[in-house]
Amino acid sequence: MSSSTTSKRTTSTPDGQGRQRLLLAIGGLVVLAFIVGIAVLSTGERGSRVTTEDLAGNPAIEGEPLAPGGQDQPNDPEVGSQAPVVTGADFDGTPVTIGEPGTPQLLMFMASWCPACQEELRSVSPWLAEGGLREDVALVAVSTGLDDTRPNWPPDEWFESEGFEYPVLVDDADGSVASAYGLTATPFWVGLDAQGQVVARAAGMLPVDQIQVLADAVAGGPA
Amino acid sequence: MTPVLERIFGLLALMALVVAVGGVVALARGRVPAWLRDDVALPLATAIAAVATGGSLYLSEVAGYLPCALCWYQRIAMYPLTLILGVAAVRHDRRVWLTAVPIAAIGAAVAVWHIVIERNPALAGPCDPTAPCSIRWVEEFGFLTLPTMALIGFLAIIVLTLVARPATTDAR
Repeated sequence: MSSSTTSKRTTSTPDGQGRQRLLLAIGGLVVLAFIVGIAVLSTGERGSRVTTEDLAGNPAIEGEPLAPGGQDQPNDPEVGSQAPVVTGADFDGTPVTIGEPGTPQLLMFMASWCPACQEELRSVSPWLAEGGLREDVALVAVSTGLDDTRPNWPPDEWFESEGFEYPVLVDDADGSVASAYGLTATPFWVGLDAQGQVVARAAGMLPVDQIQVLADAVAGGPA
Repeated sequence: MTPVLERIFGLLALMALVVAVGGVVALARGRVPAWLRDDVALPLATAIAAVATGGSLYLSEVAGYLPCALCWYQRIAMYPLTLILGVAAVRHDRRVWLTAVPIAAIGAAVAVWHIVIERNPALAGPCDPTAPCSIRWVEEFGFLTLPTMALIGFLAIIVLTLVARPATTDAR
């Protein structure tokens, strides 16, 4: 480096420079120790908490898995395919089944750590609580992406805090149910008709009016 | 361990913010103390880049917080700054701002967009199941998320390298 690009020492003597640097170094260490002390004292111990393994379900999946999709709704090749039938349970152990022929279903795949899911549930829950969804369509949430290292854990408390009162099928720790339905991103919506065939899949947030359109589509027409 | 380190990173970010504001005031007044310009600015900028680099590696490799695409762009800006500023600090190369400021400015711009996405998840679209950019892995004191800390780091580096540049005037 040429002399024009390097500084010239301005402190008077080498001793003075050394003393100044020593003081700065000591000051820096004191500040660092202070910060570490504050951090240790202000961070409480996290008690025993529910782990992914504690919460994960053990759903049984029957049928061919759907190909990944939901990003390009009009051209989803799985429309008309028979959806896998999944038998699992809610957070409290209540049996929940999805994909079974009988009643048209809306499936709402949610990950508690996903900010888009958080916004979606916040907007959908009040609408559902007011009876916004037609009665001949069953709505089931699937709690997937279980990961106790991520924010907004555990998901059962999240669903409860948002006032969501519909069944929640708990995925396993590997996200097998999500994979079986071809989830590519969350939130992820799947509409199934009364025969258990895929009517539509959508990755991303759906406003309430689009959920109503999807509900009408799975039910075979407007209510 | 991780919660304590997250708190330490948050506190260090607050300190870096204070340093950046102090540096801006000194620059605005056109009176930069010689001790700050000659002995402190570049080593401190190096320390900020090194802590940001080490912190991001700890959070991804040890704590398991997967970096998203925007995190990677900020890493691409921050990691080389550790070396660039470190070499400049050792060699007293006070013209390093010519290299460091553009890199840090790019990193800061990405961090700003990342913060916007964090605050408005709808802008980011649906969540990537592995590493969504809208997820807030860390949120200290209610506002210090990882891109916020990165933004503060980039701004502090910009200010400190400008403080160290040769054209500044000594304070009496």
